[in-house]
Amino acid sequence: MKSCAVGRIRLGAFMALLLLVLLVPLPSHAYAGPGAGFAVLSSFWTIFVAFLYSFYALVTWPIRQLFRLVRRRKAYGKAQVKRVVIVGFDGMDPELANRFIDEGRLPHFAKLRDGGTFRPLRTTFPAISPVAWSTFQTGVNPGKHNIYDFLARDLSNYLPYLSSAQIREPKRHLHLGKYSIPLGKPEIKGMRRGTPFWHWLGKAGVFCSVIRVPVTFPPEKFPGVLLSGMCVPDLKGSQGTFCFCSTRSVGDKFREGGVRIPIEREGNIFRTYIPGPEDPLGSGAELRAQFEILPDVGREQARVKVDSETLTLKVGEYSEWVPVKFKAGLGFSARGICRFYLKEVSPEVEVYVTPVNIDPGRPDLPISHPVTYSIYLAKLFGPYATLGLAEDTWALNEEVLDDQAFLAQCYSNHEDRERMFFDALEKTPQGLCACVFDTTDRVQHMFWRYLEDGHPAAKGVPKEQRPSVIQELYARMDNLIGRVMEQIDDQTLLLVISDHGFKSFARCVNVNAWLHQNGYLTLKEGKTESGDWFEDVDWSHTHAYTMGLNGLYLNVKGREREGIVETGVESEALKEELRARLDGLVDPALGSVAITGMFDCDGVYAGPYVDNAPDLIVGYGAGYRASWDSVMGKVTGTIFEDNTKAWSGDHCVDPRLVPGVLFCNRQITAEKPGIVDVAPTILKLFGLKLPSYYDGKPWTIAAAAAAGK
Amino acid sequence: MRGEAMIVRFSSALHGSLVPLGDAPLFLVLAVAVVIGLLMVVVFRYVSNQKAIGRTKDRLKANLLAVRLFQDQLPVVMQAYARILIGTGSYLRLAFTPFLMAILPITFLIVQMDRYLGWTPLHPEQNFLVEASVDSADALNDIELQVPPGLVISAPPVHAITDKEVVWRLMADRYGRYDLNIRAAGQRLAKRVVVAPGIARLSPVRLRDSFWERMLYSGEAALPDNTSISSIAVIYPPRTIAFVWLEWNWILLFFVVSLTSGFIFKSVLGIKI
Repeated sequence: MKSCAVGRIRLGAFMALLLLVLLVPLPSHAYAGPGAGFAVLSSFWTIFVAFLYSFYALVTWPIRQLFRLVRRRKAYGKAQVKRVVIVGFDGMDPELANRFIDEGRLPHFAKLRDGGTFRPLRTTFPAISPVAWSTFQTGVNPGKHNIYDFLARDLSNYLPYLSSAQIREPKRHLHLGKYSIPLGKPEIKGMRRGTPFWHWLGKAGVFCSVIRVPVTFPPEKFPGVLLSGMCVPDLKGSQGTFCFCSTRSVGDKFREGGVRIPIEREGNIFRTYIPGPEDPLGSGAELRAQFEILPDVGREQARVKVDSETLTLKVGEYSEWVPVKFKAGLGFSARGICRFYLKEVSPEVEVYVTPVNIDPGRPDLPISHPVTYSIYLAKLFGPYATLGLAEDTWALNEEVLDDQAFLAQCYSNHEDRERMFFDALEKTPQGLCACVFDTTDRVQHMFWRYLEDGHPAAKGVPKEQRPSVIQELYARMDNLIGRVMEQIDDQTLLLVISDHGFKSFARCVNVNAWLHQNGYLTLKEGKTESGDWFEDVDWSHTHAYTMGLNGLYLNVKGREREGIVETGVESEALKEELRARLDGLVDPALGSVAITGMFDCDGVYAGPYVDNAPDLIVGYGAGYRASWDSVMGKVTGTIFEDNTKAWSGDHCVDPRLVPGVLFCNRQITAEKPGIVDVAPTILKLFGLKLPSYYDGKPWTIAAAAAAGK
Repeated sequence: MRGEAMIVRFSSALHGSLVPLGDAPLFLVLAVAVVIGLLMVVVFRYVSNQKAIGRTKDRLKANLLAVRLFQDQLPVVMQAYARILIGTGSYLRLAFTPFLMAILPITFLIVQMDRYLGWTPLHPEQNFLVEASVDSADALNDIELQVPPGLVISAPPVHAITDKEVVWRLMADRYGRYDLNIRAAGQRLAKRVVVAPGIARLSPVRLRDSFWERMLYSGEAALPDNTSISSIAVIYPPRTIAFVWLEWNWILLFFVVSLTSGFIFKSVLGIKI
């Protein structure tokens, strides 16, 4: 007790002394050193800025309120709901959802099904995410929004390009000796046409928070906030290029999505690099960010030194997001963020590095609207994945990552997005809050092999050892929906939708090989196969080809560079012939139908951009999909083969087989609800007039929430 | 007493390093301010929770952005303001320990440097005042000033009864360090007067008690407790330093330069403040 009292007295004396020093008003006390100065200045600055803004807000508040009142009266005056929350689960399958609900795994979805709505949601032709989500946001068919696949074809050279956005170098450069200095920022052109429905809502005064809806890059201006999702490139401009650094002698080149980088050993230090974007100063060289690895074999860990950061990683562990800088000359640099995954420290050293994402806190390209929104999220939650396809499916496909490492990456990204979504939910007490989660799509693509018996990609894995990854995935999403339901009131409409469902991808079909074997596609003399992107195709004798996931194109005269098929009678006859021959194509090995529908795009699409559409859509049967080679414009000797890759589930099949899901906390009346109907339904809910060009029809939604909390 | 001995030792060391700089107070202030700016950010780096400070500042910035981004949602804006205030409190709490670590040595350094830079030494032929304060006005008549050779009394003493002070006007006829003596009630009390070019260590006042006041103001030993004189002061002209077309008090200049250099160093060294 005595020592405690003495301690208190000492502390009191010390505090008194300190106060004396601080409070005696002598000139030499006016300044207490930079430490104190910084502390005071920084906090003062924050308060000062906050005060200034508050003052501005206060002074202008009556005017803004008046203005808003008028707008709000207009916006919410005829609204049937106070708020609409749309949770998008990319690829959530209605059959699986129903099955898991019946098994009691999804109590919150069950609540929605039983008290509100659960219906299959008609998808688009083809059932591919960029196509379906473009339809979701614009309320029109692909003929009006111009997105038919991930890839579109360049008619002048038969090569593909990204269908959603094009990034071009700045037009003007300053030439200084060997340098060509860009004057201005890269030009980013969005290829999706049509107007997202949140633009109409925003214009009418309804506030909207939109998070990671696919095909929203480049972000367009509207009165609300938006974070772009699928189609945001990495720092290299690709859709995600991982880097695998290894001391092992260089293996095969990765088919797609990644690069192998050798690690050089210098004593105990292992040096390597991350390949970055092209030098912006015109040298054509690839910029590189060097890093060092210092393994500690005994502890099964390593220190990784990148720029000024040193990370300690255990084998099988990811780093946090790390800033990386790619230095060009003249003080130019490109900055991004990536994560490191230590694969092995002995006997070899191997490190996987995620694609270098655009840093959301300092974005080199705009990834949100306004630009400050991505910065706001980065400041609030720390750096996060910005790449459109952030879950590195290629790394798992190429066996650079194992199942656990891939899942850890997926769920880490997912948790970040959940935080963003719940923040948006909090910040949008009135209006629209929409968020799309990709995890459902990526995990189903990669783990379908464990869901069904006899999948070629799971050969040798006994049934009892197959993890319940997809079951757990759905349960996680159910948990998320449960938390959303806790946060919404009776005046909020909750829609849970997916763009398409899922099916097994066990067998590959190379339609280019079929076209070749049946005389529609001709190879150059002496060739029996063609390399990537029709390298060995003789276009002057080719009538049809496939590129991308579902599109089949005729080689039309006057349209394609070396087209030979006359438009009109000849092309129509050829289409009909191909339809007839391919529809019902049987896989001789299994005796099952590999193609269940061939769809003439003239009958499927309508709109100003139909000329960019494929001529036919190939609708694969359940268990089949375009082969990996066929997608990349390769012509092989075999038409059918097993799919042994981890990417074992897919949705690029006959769209009738893979509808999405529609859950709602209210009862919906609609004959055959489709994803195209979402936009008109939301506009109608807020009492807005529907644009005349809309293809979708609004649903009738019951007035009161039936399955709210 | 041990504290005083340490201070004396520190002062001697400082004297050894400052005096060679001679007649360049501007350079001296700039050099010391830059070094201190660097030292302080480095000290701040090691005594603060950098991660927590970074996180708190980021959240503050996020809430500032929220005010702008969600300006149409009044409840959201009000909530953001509340979070800004809470965040500022958290930030100040995190900065408090480093603040304490910085404030004590820096205050002490400033006090010591103020001896050299706060006032200019006297020049020959320059009149200056000497003031003695007493406890009781009655004692004023008993006080007598004795000046050493080199100093002359240039005006008779003036008694300020209400202030309990006696004031003399003096002048030095050459450079030197002089000890003038004040006799009061049979006691002789010395006070150092410095007549010198350039920078010199000055003690403008000699005090009787108050440890902290002596630490902060006086460079001389305390007056005896049993004397009736509470302080003897020499009025040196205050020093100003010309810098970018302005006359600066050295502390203000030191403040601005050390802060600027600190901000530059923190960016270069990646230190979160």
